[in-house]
Order: sequence, then C-alpha cells, then structure tokens
Amino acid sequence: MITETIKKYNYINKSIPRIDSFDKVRGTLQYLTDIKLENALYAYTFRSKIAHGKINGIYTEDAEKVNGVKAVLTYKDIPALNGYGAIVPEIPVLAYDKVRYYGEPLALVAAETQEAAIEALSRIKVDITPLPVVHSIDEALEENAPKIHDKGNIARHTIVKKGDVEKARSSAYIVLERVYETPMQKHMFLEPEGGVAYIDEDGVLNVLAGGQTPYRDKIQISRVLGIPLEKIRVKNTPTGGAFGGKDDVTVQIHLALLAYKTKRPVKLVWSREESGIAGFHRTASKIKLRTSASKDGSLLSNEALIYLDSGAYQSFGPTILDVSIETINGPYRIPNYIIDANLVYTNNGIASAFRGFGAPESNFAIESMMNELADELKIDPIEIRLRNILKSGEVGPFNNTIRHAEGLEEALNRAKELFYRLDPSGPFQRTGVGIAVAIKGVGFGTLPEFPAAAIEIVPEGKVRIMFSNVDYGQGINTGNAQLVAEKLGIPISQIEVLHSDTKFSPDTGGSSASRSTFNGGGALLLACDKALEELKIEAASFFMTKSSDISYKDGNFYYKDKSISIYDVAKRLKARGKSTRFEATFEVPRYQEAVEGTLEVPHMVYMYGVIVTKVEVDELLGKIKPREVDFIADIGNVINPAIAAGQIEGGIIQGLGYSLIEELNYDMNGKPLNINYTTYPVPIISDMPFINAEFIKSYEELGPFGAKGVGEISIIPVGASVADAVADAIGKRSYKLPIVPWKII
Amino acid sequence: MAYERIEVYSPHSLAEALELLSQKQEALRPIAGGTDVMVMIKDGVLKEKELLNLSYVPELNYIKETENKLLIGATTKYREIRRSPLVNAYTPILIEAVRQIGSPQIQNLGTIGGNLGTASPAGDSIPPLFVLNSTVKLQKLGGSREVQIDKFFLGPRKTVRQPDELITEISLEKMEPGSYYFFEKLGLRSANAISIVSAAGIIGLEKTTIKYLRLSLGAVAPTVIRATEAEEEATGKELNENLIHVVAKLASEATKPITDIRGTAEYRKKATYGIIYEALYKIMKGFGKKVEYGVENTG
Ligand SMILES: Cc1cc2nc3c(=O)[nH]c(=O)nc-3n(C[C@H](O)[C@H](O)[C@H](O)COP(=O)(O)OP(=O)(O)OC[C@H]3O[C@@H](n4cnc5c(N)ncnc54)[C@H](O)[C@@H]3O)c2cc1C
Repeated sequence: MITETIKKYNYINKSIPRIDSFDKVRGTLQYLTDIKLENALYAYTFRSKIAHGKINGIYTEDAEKVNGVKAVLTYKDIPALNGYGAIVPEIPVLAYDKVRYYGEPLALVAAETQEAAIEALSRIKVDITPLPVVHSIDEALEENAPKIHDKGNIARHTIVKKGDVEKARSSAYIVLERVYETPMQKHMFLEPEGGVAYIDEDGVLNVLAGGQTPYRDKIQISRVLGIPLEKIRVKNTPTGGAFGGKDDVTVQIHLALLAYKTKRPVKLVWSREESGIAGFHRTASKIKLRTSASKDGSLLSNEALIYLDSGAYQSFGPTILDVSIETINGPYRIPNYIIDANLVYTNNGIASAFRGFGAPESNFAIESMMNELADELKIDPIEIRLRNILKSGEVGPFNNTIRHAEGLEEALNRAKELFYRLDPSGPFQRTGVGIAVAIKGVGFGTLPEFPAAAIEIVPEGKVRIMFSNVDYGQGINTGNAQLVAEKLGIPISQIEVLHSDTKFSPDTGGSSASRSTFNGGGALLLACDKALEELKIEAASFFMTKSSDISYKDGNFYYKDKSISIYDVAKRLKARGKSTRFEATFEVPRYQEAVEGTLEVPHMVYMYGVIVTKVEVDELLGKIKPREVDFIADIGNVINPAIAAGQIEGGIIQGLGYSLIEELNYDMNGKPLNINYTTYPVPIISDMPFINAEFIKSYEELGPFGAKGVGEISIIPVGASVADAVADAIGKRSYKLPIVPWKII
Repeated sequence: MAYERIEVYSPHSLAEALELLSQKQEALRPIAGGTDVMVMIKDGVLKEKELLNLSYVPELNYIKETENKLLIGATTKYREIRRSPLVNAYTPILIEAVRQIGSPQIQNLGTIGGNLGTASPAGDSIPPLFVLNSTVKLQKLGGSREVQIDKFFLGPRKTVRQPDELITEISLEKMEPGSYYFFEKLGLRSANAISIVSAAGIIGLEKTTIKYLRLSLGAVAPTVIRATEAEEEATGKELNENLIHVVAKLASEATKPITDIRGTAEYRKKATYGIIYEALYKIMKGFGKKVEYGVENTG
C-alpha cells in the first residue's frame, strides 16, 4: 500500500543532469590517480609469480642499493597487524609465511624515479617452495586437497533451515535437482586501483585513493600501522568506477605504509595488468539445488548446497555467502528449506564484493529452477511466479514480515505484456524470450548501521552537504543533492556537495549494497530537520516571537507577512559564534537478530526487478545476440529517473557480459590468463541491446522521500533470463555461465 | 614490466630505410602504425631495442591500379583503404574485412603491411588477400622479390621475410564484375574483437552455375588457408543447398584449429561450416554482395 501518495515534487523525480558531468565532459575533474604531488616517490609492488608456496626468504639488499631507492619494505616492516580484510583481517598486507595466489604482494618499493623503482623490483629475490595449486571449488573439496590455510579449505560453513524438507519433498508432485555454475567476473573499471599518500604539517597521514568506504579504510590502515584514527585521513572520491572491486582495501594500506616509512609523499597506481592479476573479482559459484512443488506450481521445499570460491583469502566472502543464502529462496513462499552454504578457499586471487554481492550467483540457480519447473509443469513462467511470490504482511522464509510486495506483483503483470518472441532477422536465426525475477536487500540486513551526514548553511547563499558515500560514477552526489533541495525547497544550484573525505564528511559508511541513497539520504534529511529546528529558533529571535509561530518554506522563514531567508538566519547565527553546520545520525531500521547460521539475514527493505530478455541465436554459429531487454523495477520512489535508468542499463549490460562472454580463467600453475581489455573482453556499445527500463510507482516510508536503492538490482536476474531465452530459442538449457557459443552448438 | 630505452630511427625515404635495415638486420624492428608493436613493448616481449619507423617513408603509402591489379603500399592505413574509390570499386571484399578491424582508433593507425608483418592466423585483412590471389613485394637494398600470399606465411607470427627486407607492396587481382563475395568474422562481441573464425569467399556465377569459387579461412589453422578441396568441388556445379552443405563441410574439414580462451577446436570446425553455409546460402537466395563496377545496368 502506498500510504503517502506520491506528490508533485520540485527537485526529485526529475532527471536533472549530474552535477559532476560538466567537469567530466571537459576532462577537468581530477581523479585521485591524476594527482601529482611535489617531491613524490614512485611506488611499485613486488608480486609472487608462484600461486601457492612456502616462503623461505625474501632478499632485498640488492634492491636497496639502487640509486634513488628510498624504501624496500617486506612484512618485517609492518609496525602492527599484518592483516586486512573487510570482515576478518586475514589477508596479509605483505606475505610472510606462504603465498596463496599468483600476484600476491611480497614487497613494496619506493624510489625517486620510476626507472630506479623498476630496477629495484628486478633485484628483489625470493626463495619460495612451490606447493600444489588448488584451481577450483571441486579441487579444494577433494579429500587430499592441499591445505591453503591451516584450518583447511573451508573458510565458512553454515546451515540455515526451516520446516521439514524430507516430508515436503516426499509428498511433492515434482522434484527437480540441478547443478548451476557461475564464473569469476572482473570489475574492469576504467580507473585502475591507485592514489597518493603524504603526511601533512599536522602529522596526519593523508591517503587519497579510489575506494568505496573511507572510514573502514581508515580503521584498516590504523590497525596495520598502529597509529590512532585521528592521525589518518582517507579520501576516496572521485573514483573512476568500482562496482564493489574497491570496497575492500586495494592500495590504501600500501600507500600509507610507504608514506609512513619514508616520510615522503608517495604515488602508487596499479597497471591494468596488475589490476587484472591482483585486483578483486566476483566469487565463482557452484550451487546444487533440489526444489519440489505441487502440481499447481506451489513451491514446497528448497534444498541448496552452495559453494562460493573465495579465492586465497576472505575479503567480503562471509557476507557474500549470506546474501547468496538470502537470495536462494527468491521472493517466494517456501515453507521448507535447508541451505548448506560454504565459502571455499582456492588459489584463485581474492574474491570480493561485486555488484549484486552473491545474489547473481544464487539468482541464476533459483530463477533457472523456476523456469524449468514452469516448463515441466506446463505453467506459464510468469504465472508460476505470481502463485509463489510473498505478499505484503506475510512472514517470509527468514522470519521477516514482507513490506511492499505489490510492486513485484505489478511488475510481473506488466511483464506479461512484454513477454513475446521477436521475429527472427534471418533464416538461421532462432528467437527466444526469457524471464527472471530479482530480489535484493538494501544495506547490511541485521548488522547495525548508524550513518551520519551533515549540512552546512553558508550565509553567502549555499548549502553544503557532507557524507562519506563515495560517488564512483553512480551519481550519488547528484541524487543526495536533489533530496536536500527537495527537503529545503532550494534550487540544486545552491547546493554544494563535498566529495567524501574523512576530513569533513561524517561517517555515513560507504557506497555498497545499494545503500547510499537510503542511508546517506536518510541521514541528510535528518540533518536538514536539525538545521531547520535550530534556525527556526534563530528566526524567532529575529522576529522577536516564539519559534512555534515561525514557518518555513522554500528557503525562507515566515512570521505573519514578514520573511527572512535561511541564509540571513545563518548569518545571524554565525555572527553569534554559533556553527551553521548540522549533523545527524540515522538509525537504520532493521531486524535486531540475524537468522541462526547467518551474520546479517534478513533485510527489512528489498528492491525488486523483473527482467524479460529477448534473444536471437544463430543456430549454425551458436552466436547469441540479446536484442531487447525489458526491466521493470521497484526501487521505491525514483529520485532521478535518468540516473536510475542508467544504473538499470549499466547493470544489464554488465550482466550480459557475465552471462555470455566474461570469465576470469587461471592456468595450471594458477596464473590468471585474462588480465586486460584484450584478453578479458567486456561488452561494448555496439553490443547494447535495446533496453526498456520501467519503474513501478512505489513508496517505501522508511527511505528518504520513499526511495529504496537501485545500484545492484538489474544485474542480478540477467543470467537466468538469458539462459531461459536461449532455451526458448533452441531448446537447450544452460546450467553454467557464461553461455559461450561453443557450449550450445 | 620492462622499462628500457628504445631507439627509434625515422628515415624519410625508402632508400634510407633499406640502408639502415641492411646494416642492422634483425636488431632493427620495423614499426608502421604500431598497433601491434606498441602492445609488444608494453608487454615486455619485444626483443629488439631499436625501431625502424616507417611513418615518414613517403614511397610506401599509396593505392594504385594497373589494368588487372590494385597495388597497395605497405604503410597504407585501414582508414585510407576504406576511403579509397579504387579499393571500393575493384576489391570491395577487402573493404568488408577492413571495416571490421578493431575500432576507428585502430583503423586510423593500423596498416595492411603491419597485418602481414604480424602474421596472426586471425589477421582480418589476410583472408581477402588470399582469395584475391595477392602477392607480397619484399624489398631490400639492391633487390626485391614477389611472394604469393599463400607462400608468405610459415606459421603463427612467422613469414618468409628476411631481416634485411621490408614489405613494400601488396598487389591484388581486381575482382571480376558481377562476381559475388563475402567476408564474415566471428568474435566474442560485435566489434573490436579478435576473430574466433573468419572466412572470405568470391564466387563467379553463370546463372546458377558456379564458374569458380575461392574460399579462405582465418583463425582455424596455423596460418590463413585456402579451402582448395571445397573450391574444386564447387567448380562447374549448380549452386544449391546440397552443394552448399558439401562445400561447407569440406571447408570445415580443411581446418586445423586449436582450443584457446576464445573457443574450442571443435567449435571452430562447426563455426567454419556455419559461416560458409550461411554466406553461400545468402548468395544463393540473391542477397549476396556483388561486384558492381563494369556491370551494365540492365534494369
Ligand atoms: C585494440 C586492438 C584491436 C585490434 N583489432 C584487430 C582486428 O580486429 N583484426 C586484426 O586483424 N588485427 C587487429 N589488431 C591488430 C593490429 O591492429 C593489426 O595487425 C594491424 O594491421 C597492425 O598494423 P600496424 O601498422 O599497426 O603494425 P605495427 O604494430 O607497426 O607492426 C606489426 C608487425 O609488422 C611488422 N611490420 C610493419 N610494417 C612492416 C613493413 N612494411 N615491412 C616489414 N615488417 C613490417 C612490424 O615489425 C611488426 O612485427 C588490433 C590491435 C589492437 C591494439
């Protein structure tokens, strides 16, 4: 139910141009890897060429002798904890006892010139005894598999269950059992990992590097260097693309360490190939699913055995596993289920956050299963979903009370009108149509979140807004400016967004989990309330009356027929030595307790999406061409339709790459094979199908002006819908992504 | 991550270039557009420390015609080829291939001589050169020779070029007026993709009878190959579905593909069949591309 009817707004629901677009188009926006600091040292990373091995020695003497070299650092130089990782700090900053993936950093070099640094790199010697390499989930699980960590190859194992699956299954009309696999996917952001670091006059260590979560970076740096948080500043914006791949630390700690040790400014930027070798990627998955239903398609039970490939260490692995658990039941009423979820170590780099965060992996399994159930039961694939989706107020599989499920129902009904095959474009083309539904929680589920944000009323006629969500291209700075403009009734041009920077942005958390609008926007609106409350009192003092007689509208305070502008009130406040900066903290609504066996399941607020994918398959060449994609999204109230549609479109094309062509591969020695744009092709503009993005009218009372989130929803169901469309076209179902031509003919 | 000094020689005449090459032989690596060489430098796999920059050698950049042939200078860029009225008129099959090479940026720099020099079995200008019965001119100080295109390549990245020779010219047979042709390339995405399989074909038809067929295949053997058995099978036959099937099958059997991250060997064989089948089917149905020059407009 839309309790607050959607109003006519002045600054939201509007596709205003992104506020950073002018600088970006002109090329004047300075990314952090563009920064040139005077007197800076050039830094490089010495990486392992062995994917798995025991380190016997790292010899740096020769490297240190190179003229111009200022530091050659190994694990011995780490002042405090030699570990980082967003969830468990188990990733060595510099490897010490073992190397566990090809490209793992062993040493850092900083020198006056690039030439000296590279010369020094070539003089570092390591003595590593190679150990057998674990290439895949299957190999990691073998009985005599080499142990990557002392505790073995299972990083996390958990079981989540409800009801009696055996009983449900034995009375079911149909039981299907399938194994689904998805590949490792690279983020391939345009700006590789990099940045600069320096110590300023106040002794503060400044780290300016592309990232997504500056306050967490700060904590991770502080742990490694053993210096207090107040002595560290992290700035992450602007970042040239991230998609989750810069959520955990990439270069930040190395930069900090080098600046701290050399007392000199340092610049460290990974090459494209280093990004390919040592940057993060999406978890590969292998999911065994056994699902049962009654004759009318009602789901009775779901049994899932989930394996995610975490690579050599855990970055976000444990929480990615949680999202894959939450997603494997879809948005469906499933009374009985058992989910056996495993995070597995291999020697394949390090898997970390990537748009969708475990959801695309599980979604491919459950939505492919739904399509096959529909096929087997001869029920329309939209109808079978309509029969199973949870309704508002119902208690979901994870004991959460479902909110606003009407959006999903409406989207499915709309999809009926879009669900048809296109006419083939030639005699060898077969066309097909496929469908899938996506669900994704906004934010961190049951994990406590207390995002803070601030606004400053600048008497000269500006409202400055501050939050630590990073704008890495998704447009959060523009969206949040619109929210504040709407709230205060002042034009966007009067709003100045400061880039996320721990120097002055309160801790709003980072940009991830489609949370920035909900959390950052939520906190900003509270900060606006605080400001108005305080300024109203000041306005009352100006009119010599009481604050309850004062009203506020569109930038002015009113008393009877008189008015004063918000800026003039701020000027008075300031003149009296008071601050015109107002900060507030948003207590994000959540369930207090996680479902047994999970860290953060369930979420309270979900985004929904329905995708209809129309493909054409060349039956002789196996070439799959997605021609049209419809996406109907329920993302709550839409703050900026153009930006939101851009997020939907971007997710779809990234999902098409994931479904059709992208796959990170390693060779027998654990060396990554596709590490740049030549060897790892991503879709380009001419691969874009026609995309029709539609938004359901929807309003989530818990979010700012009814907004939920948008960043991740569209990538999630692409794989299952493509597989379904291809099956419709050529009668062959795919259980493994990517569906490259040679898998289907 | 090699970071080494590289010397670049930029001669302003062919004579000067050949002189340098004869002195330095394999120590000197020719560079034209640099779209392959620069990648090798960046990857640290270029052995040579000295480059012979051909960009300022005026004698190597031209497109000319003789009575039966087109002559293209080695450093002629793809963009120039695409825009050339001569190439468009007499060897439009080359245009088909060139417009699918890389991206506009690559076409602005890349040269046809460079494609031959790289000698990749996936080089996209090469299959058309095979069916155009081309010859490659190799020149050295005080001499030159012409090599037929099918004798030019020895294997992936290997050619008969000697260290003191430059590729200076490619000569192509003009296509017969009214003949049909195709160039098809299969990549993992719609543009800027390395060919998984490519094929070029020219077919001369007398009503529905095949006077001659020339077929070449890329990325399915150590070098680009001609599918001679398929060609012979087709000659003098009726162009119908049965024949197309036989020809496509023979072409597929002529391949010796490998498995790599861009496709399995088995797939390359199947796709060869598919590409040829579809291209000939299109021509049979009257939707093929036709050489237009010299054809009297009877309509
Ligand atoms: C992004 C990208 C996309 C690409 N896409 C394609 C594609 O779709 N299809 C394709 O076929 N290729 C493609 N290529 C490869 C490349 O662009 C072509 O091979 C091009 O023709 C090379 O020409 P060049 O002038 O740049 O060669 P260069 O890099 O200058 O030289 C290539 C080689 O030829 C030698 N050489 C050059 N000129 C001479 C000469 N006159 N005499 C003797 N030796 C010589 C050089 O020594 C070197 O070994 C692509 C490359 C890139 C970077």
